Amino acid sequence: MASDSSPGNTNDGPSSPGENVSSPIENTYSSPAALHRRRRGRSSTPTQFATPPPPPTRLASSNSTPPTSRPSAARSNGRNGRGGGGGGGGGDPGTPLSTDEPLPSSDDGEDDGADDTTPTFVWGTNISVQDVKSAIEMFVKHFREARENSEDLFREGKYMVSIRKVIEIEGEWIDVDAFDVFDYDPDLYNKMVRYPLEVLAIFDIVLMDIVSTINRLFEKHVQVRIFNLRTSTSMRNLNPSDIEKMISLKGMIIRSSSIIPEIREAVFRCLVCGYFSDPIIVDRGKISEPPTCLKQECMAKNSMTIVHNRCRFADKQIVRLQETPDEIPEGGTPHTVSLLLHDKLVDNGKPGDRIEVTGIYRAMTVRVGPAHRTVKSVFKTYIDCLHIKKASKLRMSAEDPMDVDNSLRRVNEDVELDEEKLRKFQELSKQPDIYERLSRSLAPNIWELDDVKKGLLCQLFGGNALNLASGANFRGDINILLVGDPGTSKSQLLQYIHKLSPRGIYTSGRGSSAVGLTAYVAKDPETGETVLESGALVLSDRGICCIDEFDKMSDSARSMLHEVMEQQTVSIAKAGIIASLNARTSVLACANPSGSRYNPRLSVIENIHLPPTLLSRFDLIYLILDKPDEQTDRRLAKHIVALHFENAESAQEEAIDITTLTTYVSYARKNIHPKLSDEAAEELTRGYVEMRKAGKFAGSSKKVITATPRQIESLIRLSEALARMRFSEWVEKHDVDEAFRLLRVAMQQSATDHATGTIDMDLINTGVSASERMRRDTFVSSIRDIALEKMQIGGSSMRLSELLEELKKHGGNINTEIHLHDVRKAVATLSSEGFLVVEGDRIKRV
Amino acid sequence: MGGPAYDCLTNPLGAVRFSFVNALSSGYDPASSVGKDWGVVDLFRHYFSDESAISQVPVLDSSSIKWVQPKTLVRFRGMIQDMLGNEFYAGAYKDDTTWRTNKYSDVSQFPEGSSTEMKVWERRLLYCVPVPGQNQWTECSSQELKNRFLDLTGQNREKRVRVDEEMTDSIDSNALEAGLNGSPFKKMKVGEATSSASESQVPQSSGIPPATSTESLPCLVKMYDSPESDLKLNDVVEFLGVLTFDPIVMMDTDSLDENSDDLSEAESVQMPSGKVPRLHCLIHRKLETQHFLRGSSLLPEPKSPQIFKEIRESLMKYLTGLLGNDHIASQFLLLHLLSKVHGRVDNVAVGKLSLNLIHLNKESMSIFGTQLSDALKSLLPFTQSIPLTIEYLNTASLGPKKDYRINRLMPGVLQIADGTHLILDETELQPGTLNSVGVENANLLKNLLECQKVEYDFQYYKMEMATDVQMLIFSEGKSNIMPADLVLPFQPSQVNSLEVITPETAEAWRCYLATCKSLPHSIGQELQQVVENDLVAARQTDRSLGSQDLSRLLTMARMMSVSYGETTLSLEHWQMVLELERLRKERLK
Repeated sequence: MASDSSPGNTNDGPSSPGENVSSPIENTYSSPAALHRRRRGRSSTPTQFATPPPPPTRLASSNSTPPTSRPSAARSNGRNGRGGGGGGGGGDPGTPLSTDEPLPSSDDGEDDGADDTTPTFVWGTNISVQDVKSAIEMFVKHFREARENSEDLFREGKYMVSIRKVIEIEGEWIDVDAFDVFDYDPDLYNKMVRYPLEVLAIFDIVLMDIVSTINRLFEKHVQVRIFNLRTSTSMRNLNPSDIEKMISLKGMIIRSSSIIPEIREAVFRCLVCGYFSDPIIVDRGKISEPPTCLKQECMAKNSMTIVHNRCRFADKQIVRLQETPDEIPEGGTPHTVSLLLHDKLVDNGKPGDRIEVTGIYRAMTVRVGPAHRTVKSVFKTYIDCLHIKKASKLRMSAEDPMDVDNSLRRVNEDVELDEEKLRKFQELSKQPDIYERLSRSLAPNIWELDDVKKGLLCQLFGGNALNLASGANFRGDINILLVGDPGTSKSQLLQYIHKLSPRGIYTSGRGSSAVGLTAYVAKDPETGETVLESGALVLSDRGICCIDEFDKMSDSARSMLHEVMEQQTVSIAKAGIIASLNARTSVLACANPSGSRYNPRLSVIENIHLPPTLLSRFDLIYLILDKPDEQTDRRLAKHIVALHFENAESAQEEAIDITTLTTYVSYARKNIHPKLSDEAAEELTRGYVEMRKAGKFAGSSKKVITATPRQIESLIRLSEALARMRFSEWVEKHDVDEAFRLLRVAMQQSATDHATGTIDMDLINTGVSASERMRRDTFVSSIRDIALEKMQIGGSSMRLSELLEELKKHGGNINTEIHLHDVRKAVATLSSEGFLVVEGDRIKRV
Repeated sequence: MGGPAYDCLTNPLGAVRFSFVNALSSGYDPASSVGKDWGVVDLFRHYFSDESAISQVPVLDSSSIKWVQPKTLVRFRGMIQDMLGNEFYAGAYKDDTTWRTNKYSDVSQFPEGSSTEMKVWERRLLYCVPVPGQNQWTECSSQELKNRFLDLTGQNREKRVRVDEEMTDSIDSNALEAGLNGSPFKKMKVGEATSSASESQVPQSSGIPPATSTESLPCLVKMYDSPESDLKLNDVVEFLGVLTFDPIVMMDTDSLDENSDDLSEAESVQMPSGKVPRLHCLIHRKLETQHFLRGSSLLPEPKSPQIFKEIRESLMKYLTGLLGNDHIASQFLLLHLLSKVHGRVDNVAVGKLSLNLIHLNKESMSIFGTQLSDALKSLLPFTQSIPLTIEYLNTASLGPKKDYRINRLMPGVLQIADGTHLILDETELQPGTLNSVGVENANLLKNLLECQKVEYDFQYYKMEMATDVQMLIFSEGKSNIMPADLVLPFQPSQVNSLEVITPETAEAWRCYLATCKSLPHSIGQELQQVVENDLVAARQTDRSLGSQDLSRLLTMARMMSVSYGETTLSLEHWQMVLELERLRKERLK
């Protein structure tokens, strides 16, 4: 064929597109013989190459019914798969033989004929058919994979083995790795890619020869299916020079047609005499009904009628393939291309699958109308598929069978990793400073807060969930709470994580109803402010649920969180049925202190008014305090000015970009499941015991709890996440050390008892520190003393303020400031003991 | 280039052919050229190098389609709504021994079968629609052109027919005649009015909603020789090219069998050229606001700040009047109107400035809101408004969505051109439940406000497209669904009757806005220090100021500065911004 532009050739046959359309009748040109036929023809007698150009017919005539298996009925079945391709009658014009020459139909046999003729060439090229044939034979018979050559030199070649296998299982095709072809004979590979129709036809002949030598009686057609081409084209770059070439490209199936039965052979019956005709084979997409009965004795006119159940049909399917998102340039829409699948390839993929296709790119003319001679100067293009490979299932591996919600999957979860990317990640993960780099790349335009970012990083990677046979579940998700002053970019951090996390939901605590896919628009009756109340938790199953303004969350929604954060399910009662939905989500919440600013004198719980039970479910609680620091402010100001007046890329030195980060994270989450090494386990135990002991230091009288079993779970999760970042299958000692450090940093901020300066888990667990409890006890007892001293039972009452004065005078063992609310609390305790009665502002002894 | 052996306007294909012959003689080889341009583009570029020549070309729209002739040169101004991929066509063929070309035409003109060699070339298909929300004043009137054109064709009809026939000898002359009478398009218009008529013609087309209104005319543009990166989705472009139509539209569509439908781009099936004219683009250019202005030029460079100042003053007066003498609101409105995204870092769109006017209710909305949106319509090229109600959110399709059934991107309300002004009216919003569509829509709007990005739904994945939209929100209280950059309580003191503005003034204001928006901007070393110090000081006094607030101040400073036609920030303008911000804060209390 004339090198690149195949269409050219087509024309030269008379076959120009036009006529196929207009009158399939003009046999003179062999025109649109289905390539099938061509192939057939070729296969049977290579001779035909000699003369005629059987150039691939891209101009398939508009006849939509494609492959017409021509003369050789016998073979027609399997074969058309590729050839027939939609085009149906391809231009395949001038192969004289096609129409006129008698086509030998028996499968074997005539190949030999080739030998006697003078060398035959593939039309329009200098490729000799014999050469190709022998090259293929050599390849099939002698190709061995590199590694096996030493010992089993005498074993059969790789493809001989597979041929035997095919014969055994009565298969219909042999997959041939194009890399093998290239390794063995680069020249053959090139010819195959450039002239796939011709070369594959020869390939099939060779296969059939071999098959018949092995098993004379084997009747099926064995076809070759090439896959794994050396170069893969991008859909966007397909251009006219690719027509009739073998190409391979990747994409996502977006639509597939129903299976179309395509007639191959028709049988007619005479209505008069009942004579059944021989099977009539599709020619150029048409089957001509015999005008008269073929039986000599009958010869009735117009009596033939088709017998459907004696016709033979083949499967055909048209599938549309679309570019994957990563190949689409900015500001473009995805391209699509049609695939034509035949026989066994039908239904090999379903919409949504990512596949890699090897096939022949073809074009055919668009017929203007069935009755029109004119042909538009436009071509339809499609790929005649040879082989379909589904993309690797990497991403599915870690999923449990309950996961049916594929539709909810977000883009980034779907991101495929090709080898190269994977290698890049491996490389990246081996970097000694990967941990630092990752944390630096996280929200690069928010400064400081390094430890917070590291914590968030751990959350992104997550620990391992553990389901014991006993039914006990240990969550792998890490929950984080950020508490802090307004204006400390908490929300931005949240937003950022939301963007990064595989399936994140961002919601504001102001009206998260926790469940449900709908939302409610609420309007503040006074200010007219509108808020959106949406359900979030269920939607973020296996993701991160970011809750802004956590403190403003309604109590009912918050109570739901208890279940979510420990059991990882959400229960919904609707119409008398209680449904438990999975909500395996990490919670990242941020809360503002209830006063406008964080009051360091009060505990976290007092500051944010969250129930301690909920608080204790957070693995890490960070206090982000805005210390008025001019230096930081200046940096911020500088950054913003730069953002507006320069090309503000400067801020991000060697940070990993967000898409890479996302894929890195999701890859790690799916594929890396680190286990604790012995050393790490030991370190964990030791560290934990040490933390517990730390409580004793403050004085044996106070029982300060510095660590609880919840912490050790947190620590395990954190260290697993840290190992994951390095793609390491083992949790090392230094991971544990870092986990301890992270925990300590977080706890130091939030769980430090400001009175004593030590960590006190009671602050989180009950909201009251041990020292505070002691203080209250002394308080109560001194009030009791005062009351005993100053008041008689049933006597006059005493104002609280007076009591306060007394207490202050009394001084003694209370060394800190006393507030009225302290007094109230103590009085309440006493009244519950029945010692006092509180009447408004006054107290009375009873 | 060649002499006037052809008329670029009425016989562009003749020009193409002429130059092709020329190119052949000077060694152009169609066999190896892959369809590369042989000088046609230069020829037309040269011919239409100035604005006055371009204005001679009729603009293709729903009214002119009735009289423009196929195979003549037309202009189409529109937004690229979808890209339909590439199309392969028989680009060149050999007629006996000479090469002929099909470039810039739809139907192959050679008598089939007689050609011995053919080359396949490719071209890109762009589906364009009139820019959504395009305002009336931007439309160029083609009235005079029409008259001239009708004169011309009236006189020469007979001759033209003959000429055309010669040129396109191979085409079915019946079809040609039908086309020359302009009838296919005319018929189609009639057919559209009675909607049932069109349906019978094109069964599948009912799946495609009309782009925006019934009056808008989409166009299928075929691009040649233009790099892919040149044009992006949602770009507003003017295409100049050959108008064609398929005589075959009238074909029976029902006989097309299923398989061929599936394989084809289905474009011919869904978009019969009777409904969607084809334009074979010769030259194109991206349109900016100034191209819509009558004078087609921007204000002189900042050399004359006085001019800027004067226009600014008159415009401010007008805006203040519109806003019931609320000076502060009008200041902010002006800044808002000048905003545009001029940089993106991560998810931050630098330069956006959305404005939320609060304390508006239904009643005041009907007065001020309507006035304002009318005024904006006359000032800006593209405006849209979205009523935020529960029903609307629950039913509207805001985000564009890919329909794989017909392989087309279905436009959503938010598929809009850069620079569009969008009014969101939240005053009508009542409490109620949003369904999943509503939630999606609310998220889309919020994302647009915060990041200036719209998510396009490709079903199997979503793609974010950067957009640049000025958003103005009217609401009763602060809108938390649509968090704007600036929240300002609106305090009108009186209702002014609408001032009548002369076309000249309006033109001047449009020109002013367009110029200011396009001005570059920078900051001096010294002032940078001042700004930094001020920002630090502001944060020291009010700890609740976040980076977004500071960033907003700088955006405002930029707008303030360009509104005076300045390209560098001055201390005076910076202080004006700080003062404005202070006044706003005061109101918020």
